[in-house]
Amino acid sequence: MKLSFSLEDEQFRQEVATWLQENLIGEFEKLKFRGGPGDEHMFPEERKRWEQKLAAGGWTCVGWPREYGGRGCSIEQQVIFYEEYARAGAPGRVGHIGAGLAGPTIIAFGTGAQKSKYLPGIVAGTELWCQGYSEPGAGSDLANIRTRARFDEAGARWIINGQKVWTSLAREADYCFVIARTDPGSVAHKGLGFFLVKMDQPGVEVRGIQQITGTSEFNQVFFDGAECNAGDIVGAPGDGWKVAMSLLDFERGVSTLGQQMQFQNELNEIVGIAKENGAARDPAIRQRIAKAHTELKIMRYNAMRMLSSQGSGAGSLQQEALIYKIFWATWHRDLGELALDVMGAESQILEHGPYQLSRLQALALFVRADTIYGGTNEIQRNIIAERGLGMPKERWQR
Amino acid sequence: MDFTFTEDQLLFADNVKDFLRAEVTPQSLRRSWEVETGRNPGLWQQLVDLGLSAMLVPEAQGGLGMNELDFVLLAQECGRVALAEPLVETALVATPLLSSLAPKDDRCGTLLAQLTAGKARIAVGHAANGLVCDAHIADWLLLPSGDQIHLLARDQVALIAQDSIDPCRRLFFVEWQGSDETCVASGAEGVALLAASLNRGALGAAAQMIGLAEAMITMSVQYATGRIQFGRAIGANQALKHQMANCAVKTEFAKAPLYRAAYTLSRRPSHADFAVSHAKVVAGEAALLAAKHGMQVHGAMGYTWEYDLHIFMKRAWALDKFWGHAGFHKNRLHQWLMNPNAKIGADKTFGVQA
Repeated sequence: MKLSFSLEDEQFRQEVATWLQENLIGEFEKLKFRGGPGDEHMFPEERKRWEQKLAAGGWTCVGWPREYGGRGCSIEQQVIFYEEYARAGAPGRVGHIGAGLAGPTIIAFGTGAQKSKYLPGIVAGTELWCQGYSEPGAGSDLANIRTRARFDEAGARWIINGQKVWTSLAREADYCFVIARTDPGSVAHKGLGFFLVKMDQPGVEVRGIQQITGTSEFNQVFFDGAECNAGDIVGAPGDGWKVAMSLLDFERGVSTLGQQMQFQNELNEIVGIAKENGAARDPAIRQRIAKAHTELKIMRYNAMRMLSSQGSGAGSLQQEALIYKIFWATWHRDLGELALDVMGAESQILEHGPYQLSRLQALALFVRADTIYGGTNEIQRNIIAERGLGMPKERWQR
Repeated sequence: MDFTFTEDQLLFADNVKDFLRAEVTPQSLRRSWEVETGRNPGLWQQLVDLGLSAMLVPEAQGGLGMNELDFVLLAQECGRVALAEPLVETALVATPLLSSLAPKDDRCGTLLAQLTAGKARIAVGHAANGLVCDAHIADWLLLPSGDQIHLLARDQVALIAQDSIDPCRRLFFVEWQGSDETCVASGAEGVALLAASLNRGALGAAAQMIGLAEAMITMSVQYATGRIQFGRAIGANQALKHQMANCAVKTEFAKAPLYRAAYTLSRRPSHADFAVSHAKVVAGEAALLAAKHGMQVHGAMGYTWEYDLHIFMKRAWALDKFWGHAGFHKNRLHQWLMNPNAKIGADKTFGVQA
C-alpha cells in the first residue's frame, strides 16, 4: 500500500493545472463551474469552442491510445486530469459522449474505416455525439428496443424508424449512436444492431423535453426513414447488444471518477453558505455535513483502491465501478437535500425569473435524476445482487 | 379517550375534498402559472362563501367558531390538491391572530369582519419565514418586528417579488416602517401571539404535507401499476413495492402526531410547542420521502415538467422549509425533552398537559 501518486504523476498534475490556468481565461472565464449536471444547456456555443481549445492542447481524449489521436494516459493520469479539470472549474464537456463513449466503442469494435472516419472529429472537438439507447418502452428494460433498422439492398444502406428518448445534447450533436432491431422477429437483446447515424438529415427530428428544472437538456429523437450507410454499423447485425453493453462499462468506468472533485466543489459551496447564514450552528445540519464529507472521502479512497487493483492486474475496475453508481447517485441526491436545508426558506427563491435557478438549486433538482439515469438504484441493486453476489435472477416474461 | 374525528368533522372534510377536487386540478394550477397574480379571485370567493377562511373566527365575530382540530383535515385536503390560494395561512394563522387582537383594537375587528365577508384579504409575516406569501393580493399585512406585531395596508409597504421554485407560490420580501400607529401588539403579548402564529403555521404546513404525501403516493402507485417493463407492471417488483409501502407507513404514522398537535393547539395553545414540532418533523419526513420515492418510481417521467408529479414535490419541499424547518423543530423537541420538568413518563402520553 502506498497512498500517494508517483512523482511523474504529480508532474503531470502540474502540467494539467498550468494549462487550465493559462487557457481557461478570456471568453472562457464565464464558463467556470458551468455546463455541469442541471446546467448542460448553458453556453453551448462557447463550450463548443472550449472543446476545440482543449483539442488544441491535446486534452480531449486523454485516455485514448496515441495511435488514435489520444494522449495515451494511464488510468492514474486520467483521474488526475479529471480532478484538475474539476478543481479549475472548467465547464461540462459538450464532447464527453464522443470522447467517453462513442470513441472508446469504435476503438474497441469499429472497423478501420469507421476509426478513420469518426475518431479524428472527436479528438479535434469538432464533431459531437449523442446516445440513442432509451425508448418510451425501453427504460430499465433497455433490451425492449422497438426502433427498427431495415437493410435496403438497392441503396446499400440501413433505413431506421423509431423513437429515442432522454437523449442529452441531441440538438448539439452531429452523430448519434443508435441501438435498433435488425431482426424484425427478434425479442430482447437478440437481433439488435449498433448504428452510427448522422443527425443532420431529413429523417431525424429532435424535440426538447422540458424538465423539472424548467430547462431542456434531454430530448426526444424521432427517426422516420433515417438513413445510415452500410458501413456504419458497429459489429455485425445481431451483435448490437454486446457492443451497447460494453459501452455502458465505459460509462460506469473511469470517466466518473473525476466527478468527485466536482462533488467537493459543491459541498464546499454548501459549507460556505452554512457558515455564512448560521445553519452550521444547527447540530442536525452539522451532522449531515460531516456525513457528506466522510462519504465523499469513501468515494475518493475507493477510487484509489480501484486504481490499485487495476494496476495489480486483478482487473476489477469494472466490478467495483458497478457498486460505485448507486453510492455516488444516492450521495449526490442527499447532497441536494442538504443544500436546500442549509439555505432554509430562502432556498425557495429563484436567482431570477423566468425560472432561472441558482447553481445549488439546479443541483438540488437535477440530482433527482442521478438515481434514475444510467440504471436506476433499483436496477443497480439487482446488478450487484445478481452479477456481484450471484443471487438468483428474477424471472422476466415478455 | 377518543382519538377519532366526529362524524360532522369527517363529513365537512369530505365535502371540502370533493369541492377542491373539482375546482383545483393540475391543469388549473398550470393555468395559474400563466396568470400575473397566480391566483383565481373567483375560487377565493367560493372558499370564503363556504365559510372556510373564517372557520376559526368565533361566531360572535362572524365566523364559524370552529377550532384547529376542525380545520386540520381541511388543510390536509388543501395539500392533496396543492391548492395555491392562501387558505391555510389565512384561516389558521391570520384570522385567529386578528381575533385575539380585535377586542382591544377596532381596526382588527373591522378588518376581521371584512375578511369574513370576503371584502378584504390579508397576508401574514413571521420571522421563521422571512418571506411573506401572497402579499401581492393582500389588502393588509400583519408583520412582526421583534416583540411587536404591526398591521399595515399594502400601500404602506414595499413588496419585492421573489420568483419561487414552486411555480404556484408567490413570495415577497416586504420593506416597511412601523410606527406606534401601526403597532397592534407588543411585549409579552406580542411574543405570545407570534409564538402561537408559528405553531398554527407549522400545523398548517404539516397537514398540507400529509395531503401532498398521499397525493404523491397515489400518483406513484398508479404509474407503477400501468408502466410495463420486462413484460410486467414495474409495481410488481418488490424494490418499488417496498418503497411505496415505506411511504405509506411513514405517512399514516405521521397523522396521529398531526391530529394530536391540532388537539393540543385547540385546547391549550400555550403548551403545544412539543406536539406541533413533532407533527411538523414527521409530516415533513413523510412528504419528502414520498417525493423521493415517488420520483424514483416514476423514473425519468417524474423528472419532466409536463408530468404533474413535480407540482406536488416542489410544494412539499417548500412547506418543509416554512414555519420552521426540520432542524428548528427537532431542536425544539430536544430542548423540551432535556427540560428537567419534561413530562415524559409512561402516564404522560395523553392529556392536554403533555
